[in-house]
Amino acid sequence: MIQVYPEKTRYKVDLGWLKSRPSFQFGEYVDPDNSAFGVMRVCNDDYIAPGRGFGAHPHSDMEIVTIILSGQIRHEDNLGNIEIASAGEVQRITAGSGVIHAEYNPSDTEGLHLLQLWFMPRERGLPPSYETARYDRAKLVNALLPVAAAVPSEGVVKVEQDMTIYLSRLESGRELAFRQEAGRRVFLFVIEGSLTVNGVTLGALDEARITDEPELALKAGGEQAFFMLIDLP
Amino acid sequence: MKETFVVKHAVGGKIFIDTGKRAVPYKLEEKADGGYRFTVSTPRGPEIEELLKLAHELNVFVFRDCSEENEPTVKTWFYVNEGPVAYDDEKQELTIEAQSKIEYVPDRYLS
Repeated sequence: MIQVYPEKTRYKVDLGWLKSRPSFQFGEYVDPDNSAFGVMRVCNDDYIAPGRGFGAHPHSDMEIVTIILSGQIRHEDNLGNIEIASAGEVQRITAGSGVIHAEYNPSDTEGLHLLQLWFMPRERGLPPSYETARYDRAKLVNALLPVAAAVPSEGVVKVEQDMTIYLSRLESGRELAFRQEAGRRVFLFVIEGSLTVNGVTLGALDEARITDEPELALKAGGEQAFFMLIDLP
Repeated sequence: MKETFVVKHAVGGKIFIDTGKRAVPYKLEEKADGGYRFTVSTPRGPEIEELLKLAHELNVFVFRDCSEENEPTVKTWFYVNEGPVAYDDEKQELTIEAQSKIEYVPDRYLS
């Protein structure tokens, strides 16, 4: 089953400094029937104004992955990590038994666009940790490039869950196949362009939640498609 | 010194208890095993029902504001983990047990 969530139907938050499109209920967006997809709890498509961000706050028992799409993010936490990450990097926080962090856009002029993703971990009470990795953008082209996975490697942050986040930049007319194992879920989010999955077309910022489709045929539309595919339980 | 007790949903931030907005008697004790126990006197309303449903996803705080000007707010966050979080109908008391805590001063971040 392919359930499409078009961008135009997604809830929109506008706080001036923050423009956000949450995929799942979050903050002022209340929809108990849309609170999770498997272990996935949050997908916020956030635009953060220059010099603004989120003050110090806690998290626990959540795997938080941030994909920076444009601009920069400055991270600071109580574990002693202070770092600026930029487009092309992926940040992961294992909140575990508790972490305090703050995030903001350090630029005076450039906006920050990111996807923030939260997943329930494989177990509670893990030691908190923080990591970033830079992926090779050339390897995105016409391939599914893992950027976060249970088993880390170069350019891949480690998540404490049996899941993989892929990014891909598919050229116009090109196709990719993805095999969905039985009982697994696929969350698909088109960042730019348009993409067809098993004949269903998704435009920019549309998403799909996919179950029970053993073979996924992914094809870029008239222009190249930049998208995220998450394979999760 | 002003003290505020706050309980929020950890995913999305819905507030269940905020003594800064509505006074609720509560007591904080250190447990013999090193954890912490909050005892809150409150009727069992819809917000407490929802809090109990989300017992494994709570952010529990105590904020302390000094009466001195220019002294920053000190926040203490409590890790509830699996609690227990329970309600005693007879006593009309909510108890929240926490495993550990982290104290932080928000003003010291991103400075």
